[in-house]
Amino acid sequence: MSNTLSRRDFLKIGGVTAGALALGQFVPPKVAEAARSSGTLDATNSGYIPTMCEMCVWRCGVLAKVENGRVVKLEGNPQHPHSKGKLCPRGQSGLMNTYDQDRVLSPLVRVGKRGEGKFRKVSWDEALDYVAKKMLEIKDKYGPEAMVFSSTHNLSQVQFENLLNAFGSPNYGTQRSLCFNAMIVGNLLTYGMEEPGRDYSKLKYLILTGRNLAEAISTSETGDLIKSMDRKTKIVYLDPRFTKTAAKADEWCPIRPGTDLAFHLALLNVIITEKRYNASFVSRYTVGFDQLKASVKSYTPEWAANITEIPADTIRRIAREFADAAPYALAHNGWRTSNFVNSFQTARAIAILNALVGNWGKTLVPAAGEGSSALGAPPQPPYPRISALRLDGVPWKYPLVPFKLGVFQELRNNILTEDPYKVHGWLISRQNPIQSLPDRKRTLKAFGEMDFIVVVDIFLNDTAWFADVVLPEASYLERYDPMLPVGDKAFLRQPVIEPQGEAKSALWIYKQLGERLGLGDFFQYEDEEDYIRQQLAPLGISLEEVKAQGYAPLPASEEEENPYQWNTASGKIELYSETLANSGFDACPTWQEPPYPSAEQFYLLTGKVGQHTQFATQNNVLLHKYQDEPRLWMNPKAARRLGLADNDLVKVSSEVGAIKIALQVTEAIRPDCVYMTPGFGHISKGFTIGRGVGASDSALHVTYTDPVSGSQALSQTFVTVEKA
Amino acid sequence: MTTLTDISSIKKRAILFDATRCIDCRACMVACSVENNVPNDVTRIWLAGDGVVGQYPDLDRATMPYHCMHCEKPACASACPVGAYTKRPDGPVIYDGDKCIGCRYCMNACPFDVPHFEWDRGVDEHPIIIKCDLCSNRVDSGGEPACVATCPTDALIFGDRDDLLKYAKERIGNYPDRYVHEVYGETENGGTSYLIISHVPFEQLGLPTNIGDEPVSELSEKIMEVTLPFAVGWAAVLSGVTAGVRKYHQKQAAESAEETEKEA
Repeated sequence: MSNTLSRRDFLKIGGVTAGALALGQFVPPKVAEAARSSGTLDATNSGYIPTMCEMCVWRCGVLAKVENGRVVKLEGNPQHPHSKGKLCPRGQSGLMNTYDQDRVLSPLVRVGKRGEGKFRKVSWDEALDYVAKKMLEIKDKYGPEAMVFSSTHNLSQVQFENLLNAFGSPNYGTQRSLCFNAMIVGNLLTYGMEEPGRDYSKLKYLILTGRNLAEAISTSETGDLIKSMDRKTKIVYLDPRFTKTAAKADEWCPIRPGTDLAFHLALLNVIITEKRYNASFVSRYTVGFDQLKASVKSYTPEWAANITEIPADTIRRIAREFADAAPYALAHNGWRTSNFVNSFQTARAIAILNALVGNWGKTLVPAAGEGSSALGAPPQPPYPRISALRLDGVPWKYPLVPFKLGVFQELRNNILTEDPYKVHGWLISRQNPIQSLPDRKRTLKAFGEMDFIVVVDIFLNDTAWFADVVLPEASYLERYDPMLPVGDKAFLRQPVIEPQGEAKSALWIYKQLGERLGLGDFFQYEDEEDYIRQQLAPLGISLEEVKAQGYAPLPASEEEENPYQWNTASGKIELYSETLANSGFDACPTWQEPPYPSAEQFYLLTGKVGQHTQFATQNNVLLHKYQDEPRLWMNPKAARRLGLADNDLVKVSSEVGAIKIALQVTEAIRPDCVYMTPGFGHISKGFTIGRGVGASDSALHVTYTDPVSGSQALSQTFVTVEKA
Repeated sequence: MTTLTDISSIKKRAILFDATRCIDCRACMVACSVENNVPNDVTRIWLAGDGVVGQYPDLDRATMPYHCMHCEKPACASACPVGAYTKRPDGPVIYDGDKCIGCRYCMNACPFDVPHFEWDRGVDEHPIIIKCDLCSNRVDSGGEPACVATCPTDALIFGDRDDLLKYAKERIGNYPDRYVHEVYGETENGGTSYLIISHVPFEQLGLPTNIGDEPVSELSEKIMEVTLPFAVGWAAVLSGVTAGVRKYHQKQAAESAEETEKEA
């Protein structure tokens, strides 16, 4: 790293100021009037309006500072438990997401060839009529299943799913199988819940398995981690890279990729063999201890040392320290856990490790449900019956993958194989499958198979670039979304300025489309405010009050929930899973040998940086300003072997593609791995700032699916590197 | 906790940076750029330090957000021939772009290498020195500096300099294995209002460790006694030029704005 942030980086985008770009948006009457009447804006249209961030999925509370009708600064909302008054760099940069010079501000219909980027501006009526006509044509000719719907984690997703279900298609693609399927399915089959909550307040010992909290920032949890250092919480961090989290850890274990499972199996082995588990907790609240004991019997630290390249003594000591610190110990279940096809068993082993030492109720707690039933909802007629098989193989190929999670990469594959049928259209909302799915070439080919592609987004991202119709969404500072319960409050995302250009909220777009598809009965709300009012109806609080304070208090649950009851088949924590056994999978965590790269190959690792979220933020002028140049990390030992030097342009090849990227020679990575930050290498010419920066990891990733959880194994791609 | 002292009762404003808490996320830098409307080709806070240090697998990290130290006796102010720098009694060192003539004496004088000159800008495009002002406007109206307010890990804390010094020493006492046993800025260059505690030697964070406790300003004042008459003369000439050029450009800007309006 150079001594100061590279000045070249600043000069690339020379002269344009945040202020200049932010100029000129005066709040027109509706938003301003509402904000003035709720007391958040004064007579000059200046003040702070509470809303919610959308620069990642943590959704911090935001106070948007508005001056003379334009957003000039965002502050963390101290009343929101996810921000506690703080925002990360992405949250701070959020106003340039709204004022981005490359926003799509009117509906577009393609006029050139796909990928040529030639569109004409059309009215909303023309665009929506055209989309509805095409979708109905496909439905009439091939059935509703011939339309694929896909969208990634967002607050209006509930209405996107409503559109999908009302239309009657079983084909739904989300980011989940590319991210956390392994962890969610692991937790479901152990605790009967997707992801238990974590309590750092009395934590003494923490094992992070690749959970890079200092760079994959979840503002409040990242803060909790750093605060725990003051209580002298011991932090053990497993990662083939020396990340910024590794730098904060007491102990960094540069584990060999794909072997986290072996490490955790050895921890289970030591804790059981040395009888360091919490016997009374295990006997009262778990099932299958004897089977587990038999299953992990041979997984000694010596066995694991050979596989993980972590010394046996270290593994044994960590097991003992962890058990000693229990119940104030925590093995973190990680977040993006889809690394190898054995990642599901890793997730199970981590879940079981916590149960074995009795951390439940102390550091691992029942999740505060996001799906609070206290909020109302618009009336909902029953959905049509769906008889077609799902293209993503759930459940006919993947019996244990929950419908909600799906297997997106398999869906994409089956578009090409036409197994079990051919699809013809794709509706994509706030998602970028060209960049998020592995094997970009194959995704582009799947796009080529489509008669019709429609994209809802705020930018011409790589996916919108190949669309036939682009519907411009309002940014998160310009729109309402359905409310989000967090703890004892439901928080509101509300517009702090009027949408720019012709942009409209997703709630509006889905309803308009639904009505034109003859599905109006499924969208029983007048407009966005009416939707929120229906949500608030059971709470007896007005929208105006909620707009002023940013949230509605939720009533305390009447039934006292028993935290020692689990929604599993046995009602207990399942160390042995009958469900897994019945489907022909290992019922207790069992070692599964991962593939290893050849002597010429490297593991291709990807991970997060604090300045970006996935593929969506690279065009943000403020994040671009403060990002590191995205280069390929390589250990100097490997670089010497290949005769490569820092900043050399290198060619990186996998079995599905090749990219060119600058090399960063760094001690911070194992010699058998290379690393690149995902989300760069955009194809779309609709990005002025983000285009031409870095390279795409999706061009290299090979598609591998875990048969249990449906996870895409994102670190199982091996590459060769040579001078370009 | 991001403010140690009740803001209204702060006598001398200061920031304490704790390198052991910093995750190098750069939220402070983004917040500063937005709050102060900093052009995208420059920055008031930059990243300093050696980054990853050591050899695999024995590694550490050393980075810090680096900006004006707000010296008790600022060398920039002593060196400036036209009084473009002011040390406020309550801490901040403030730069006034309207007075600046672009002589760059401050750049040479500052022992911390803080004032950055905008070579691409003409003297008419003020300000031509980019520098932290401790978010004086924000703090004057009861807020915290933007960088401190947003720091997700409380690596930046705002407060009264004496309180922060006391707190920093307490932390070093409570966690003797975690910190270098010294507060950077307590005495350096006669003391600063940006204080730093760290797990690595201060030079690894990019801080100069060869400057003494005697403020450089005293030295520069001595030099100024010799050069001042000349400098003031020059300043008068340059100021004149500056004012003229600026007026011309203001006129041009107004004209082009009118044209844009017409087009719209």
